[in-house]
Amino acid sequence: MTTLYVLDVDDFRPLAEVASKDPDATVRRRGPYLEVETVGEIRIERGATGCRNAVWYSSVAAVEGGRVSRWDKVELVVEPWGDAP
Amino acid sequence: MSTTERAHVVRGVDHAAFPTFDPRGTITFYRDVLGFPVVHATCALGWGPGEHPDFIHFFFDIGNGDRLAFFYYFGVEPYRDTAIPELIHRARHLAIHVDSEEHLQEYRRRLDASDWPCELQVRHETVESIYVTDPNGYLMEITRPLRAITVEDDIDANVSVDALMDVTGGDEPTLEKFFARKARLIAERYAGEAELVTFA
Repeated sequence: MTTLYVLDVDDFRPLAEVASKDPDATVRRRGPYLEVETVGEIRIERGATGCRNAVWYSSVAAVEGGRVSRWDKVELVVEPWGDAP
Repeated sequence: MSTTERAHVVRGVDHAAFPTFDPRGTITFYRDVLGFPVVHATCALGWGPGEHPDFIHFFFDIGNGDRLAFFYYFGVEPYRDTAIPELIHRARHLAIHVDSEEHLQEYRRRLDASDWPCELQVRHETVESIYVTDPNGYLMEITRPLRAITVEDDIDANVSVDALMDVTGGDEPTLEKFFARKARLIAERYAGEAELVTFA
């Protein structure tokens, strides 16, 4: 499983909300965090989150079962281990 | 031992002090441009051990009873760290708080009307800041809150520094290792508490 944690505050909640539109993804509340989990990769388009630069680039709280393979002005991609080049 | 078990009784910054080789520029910048009142000055003969120079130690009020201070040493050759990489230069800075956008803009106006115009204005995650390099070459920031810091932010900060302690205690720390360690800490600390979330 690929897991992305974001802090459950107004700034970062939109990432979990956008990620939840993937039918394979589930979002759970774990303490003060939102835990986004899926079997494949997690893809979050920045434009859909409405995050400004500083918020976007500080939005990841933690990652398990994979790695951030892309995090630029277009999107954030968390790849499961094994898919990395 | 957790810091929460001990009383936290410090009360902010009494003063932060820096050397200056340009007292005229420093006084012009802080007193006349920014409008920080001069609140104290110690004018002393250098009587200490060795060849301590005569000096003036002067203080500006930066609000809330806190003070920014400078040492000017008579007869001492100016010294500047010219080899400091830009990254390190920008990391070392003093950030002064204002409460509102109006107050931030007021200080921006004062700077822009001076010989030291604002160099950068940035909306960070929780604060908006303006930056300027003072006459001594010190980077200075004036910042206002964009939102309140919540309990969640504080919890996250503590998980982050615990993860940072762990990964920097090991070999070749990276952000990737940090995120993975932090995820383990979150899963351990909040095991069994997961509740499904749906967005309307």
